[in-house]
Amino acid sequence: MKTSRQANIQLNEDPREILGVPPDAGDERIRDAYLRKVKEHPPDREPAAFERIRDAYEVLRDPRRRALHMFLSADPHAPLVSLLPASSQQRKFAGPDPWLAVLREK
Amino acid sequence: MGVKYKVETRLPRPSIPGTGASVPIPQEEDVRALLAKGKTKPAVELAREIHKRCGWPESEALLVDAYAARIRSLLKTGLKEEAKALFELVRERYSSAAARLADVGVLVSASSGNLEELLRPLNDPAVLPEIRRAIECVVKGQVCDLSALAECTSLAADHPLRTAAAALLRAFAAVTVGPVEESALVLPEVSHRGPLASWKILVRAIAYFYQQDDAACERCLGIIDPDSAPARLVPALRTMLRTSTDKRLAPAAESLVALVCGSKVSLGRALQALDSAFETRVQEKILPGIQRAVAACEVAYPGLLERLRQHISVRALHLDLPARKVRAALGGASIKNAYFWRLYARSVESSNEPLEPLICAQWEQFRRHAVAEGWFGEKGPEAAALYLHMAELLLEVPAWTLERHRSRFAAHFSGFQEYYEDQPPVIREVEAKYKKVDPYFLSPSQLFERACAIDPHREAFEQWLNWAKQEFDGRVADSVAERWHQALPLHSQPLLHLMESAEKRGALNRATAFLAEAQKLDAVHPEVRRAALRLLVAQTGRHLRQRKPHLVEQDVAALEALPEAQLADRPAFLVALRWAGAVIRGDAELASSFFGQIGRLLGSSAAAILACENAAALGGLTRADFDRHVPQISQDPADSLVVATARVCVLGDDVGAPLTIPTAWHARLWQELTNTHGELESRQLEMLGKAALRTDQKELAYAASAAGLEMGGDQEARFLLLRARALPEWELDRRDDCIAATVELGRRQRDMSIINEAMELRRGRRNAMTNFFDWLDSEDWHDFSMTTEEIQEVLQHEKHSRAFPGNRHAPLRVPYRETVFLDDQELEKDDEPCALDDSNQLVPEMGQSREKRPKRVRRDLPGQGDLF
Repeated sequence: MKTSRQANIQLNEDPREILGVPPDAGDERIRDAYLRKVKEHPPDREPAAFERIRDAYEVLRDPRRRALHMFLSADPHAPLVSLLPASSQQRKFAGPDPWLAVLREK
Repeated sequence: MGVKYKVETRLPRPSIPGTGASVPIPQEEDVRALLAKGKTKPAVELAREIHKRCGWPESEALLVDAYAARIRSLLKTGLKEEAKALFELVRERYSSAAARLADVGVLVSASSGNLEELLRPLNDPAVLPEIRRAIECVVKGQVCDLSALAECTSLAADHPLRTAAAALLRAFAAVTVGPVEESALVLPEVSHRGPLASWKILVRAIAYFYQQDDAACERCLGIIDPDSAPARLVPALRTMLRTSTDKRLAPAAESLVALVCGSKVSLGRALQALDSAFETRVQEKILPGIQRAVAACEVAYPGLLERLRQHISVRALHLDLPARKVRAALGGASIKNAYFWRLYARSVESSNEPLEPLICAQWEQFRRHAVAEGWFGEKGPEAAALYLHMAELLLEVPAWTLERHRSRFAAHFSGFQEYYEDQPPVIREVEAKYKKVDPYFLSPSQLFERACAIDPHREAFEQWLNWAKQEFDGRVADSVAERWHQALPLHSQPLLHLMESAEKRGALNRATAFLAEAQKLDAVHPEVRRAALRLLVAQTGRHLRQRKPHLVEQDVAALEALPEAQLADRPAFLVALRWAGAVIRGDAELASSFFGQIGRLLGSSAAAILACENAAALGGLTRADFDRHVPQISQDPADSLVVATARVCVLGDDVGAPLTIPTAWHARLWQELTNTHGELESRQLEMLGKAALRTDQKELAYAASAAGLEMGGDQEARFLLLRARALPEWELDRRDDCIAATVELGRRQRDMSIINEAMELRRGRRNAMTNFFDWLDSEDWHDFSMTTEEIQEVLQHEKHSRAFPGNRHAPLRVPYRETVFLDDQELEKDDEPCALDDSNQLVPEMGQSREKRPKRVRRDLPGQGDLF
């Protein structure tokens, strides 16, 4: 029976992105961001969002887990398109003509 | 159209005499078949021939249908004039079939592009439903100019089509020039069943697209009628949403994508194409893909170019593509900074290939660059975590592989110089700082040492100590424990280890000193309390060996004062120690009295004999020393021998004096164990199995694991591990499956002790890789984790495999016997089941003279024996 090597912690999401903190944020800033996010997503109203925030904080609050996440979060096999930042998805309003041109094109 | 084909419809269709049914139209099926195949021209000719012969209204209808199909075919191929001429001709000649040609007429009108003419029939309230449907179908599928529809003068100003088109036109313009309110998308003028319904959905999809609500946009695109005109925008929108990798967009759609999303969508598509190329692993597809992606990135997102190059480099390295060609396609070498090395190390680490120690060299490169780039400090907790991670990786590598690499590394490893060609000075400077290669990263000891020096904490020291315990030299582990104690003096674990180590060396005074220190730190720690009991028992054993019964009495009195000594069957063991003291004194009466007391406490004379044997063994007494103080067991004891033995096995484990089961009992125990069910508790089974393994009686241990697995429950992990230990060496896969399932079950039950035991078994076996089976097994040593289904599969398989796996290899042994020992009577009986005359001989032979021992016929239990 073959099984695959797995990482010990969940690395699907970047905890810093979840808490909205920059890579160089220290303990205090991480804690502030966590408290702010918990206020935005209280556990009684949004339990799923709260758990996600709490898990992210659990990773970041412990320097060892934070370090381990730094090493293991790099995913060399992720689709290359995932490198494109979200800001690259800005969409310009071009007016109706270019849209209608597509409709008229046979 | 020649005059010769003009045929009048003259006669009604005749009936079949006597039935009243109409005469069938000859060859009608042939015409219909031709139409179904799209062969409209021969269908028209055949229908004309038929009508010429028959002249019935039905044959005329068939001919008109064929013409209608022909006209549609002409329109489809762009022959609008021909279609129009044919339509006029047919309408003029077969006026009775006007209704059949209504929808074709609409198509002909539409083909002329004259919307006014197309829509005019809708002004007539009595317009035929077929014509209305046909017009609406054309409007739905072909009308792209909403303004022309909104201003169509052939319709009344308040006609629903015009008002809907006008509303859509306004909404369409609104959503494409800026953000809109939800109210602007309601569009009550547009019926969701009307021909413009898809337009309404399209407007909403575009609005969602600009609101970055891609999921809602995709939902809208999914419900746009694919036959409607708005469906033509779906591929372009999906490309902009990056949910489509369709490379073939029409020019206008390409322009729209570029205008709305800039060249970043082109980059996204190039990256998707490159991902697909990498999946093919074909160099000829990958290299052009790299060039296109890099070119698109330079235009659309220059800031991303370097990171993209690094990812592509790592992918190319993973596929072993020629470095120079990749570099050329990339337009230069990727930067070998911390980001690159981390990515590269992760690529190697997350592959399914067995790990090579070189992975740690890659992590070392990452560390150097990360420190130089300020990711973390050289002495920061991140560096410590990295050292630990590297050490953990090395623990996965078999010790012999590691040793071989370490010895060859300095001589053969030339570093990563080729990676630093064409690198900027700032990168080369980092590498230049480390001129001499220090292969510390190939030594778990040095890695643990560095990690613990920077960030001393329990988990790091525990890992280090666990690793050190695997080393042949016990002083290594002691040294680690001492370091741990120095760094974290409030932790009791290092003291407990040092105590155990001293105890094993026989340095009981030193062990007692360590225990005293541990008790000061945490007297109620269960391990400390157990250790106190164990150590006092060991001291009693020493005094027994020194033949100092007065000190034995003092020790037992001290033991009695321990609360732990009063639990379970432990008082019986204390009495057994006193019994041993009485034996040394030669006080038969007292010994007999103690023996009776033990029997009462344990409820079985067999258990009492075993407890006394155990105490005697602890005190170094031979059978001859105590033979007269212990009765011999009946050959057919009334009590269950296996229950008594298991009970004393647990007792021996509790007090730190593991029981050795007399060899002559094994067969009887095995038989009882395989024939009885539910008499033993899970711990008794486990301890019985472990005791059997101590004398290498794998069959007995296997039977204990089978009984334990049958009980199910939370202890399954323990019995899977016992099964792994009990399996013969050739059962490589089964053993590894059992270990992996044990680890996974332990993880789920948060039972670290079972996980550690399983890991040590695995690791210990690898470190002692000395035989053919270990060599066979060396390729898949990194596999560990399992899914729930896989665990269940292993459990079910092991539960059903109650018999010791020996017979399946029997054919391997047959030639050996037949050719060499064919006439050896004893060996010929080897495959017979275990005989009772052998197993019934239950007198412990320890201490008996050789002549007195029963003549033993060497018989394997089922399956016992070595392969070679």
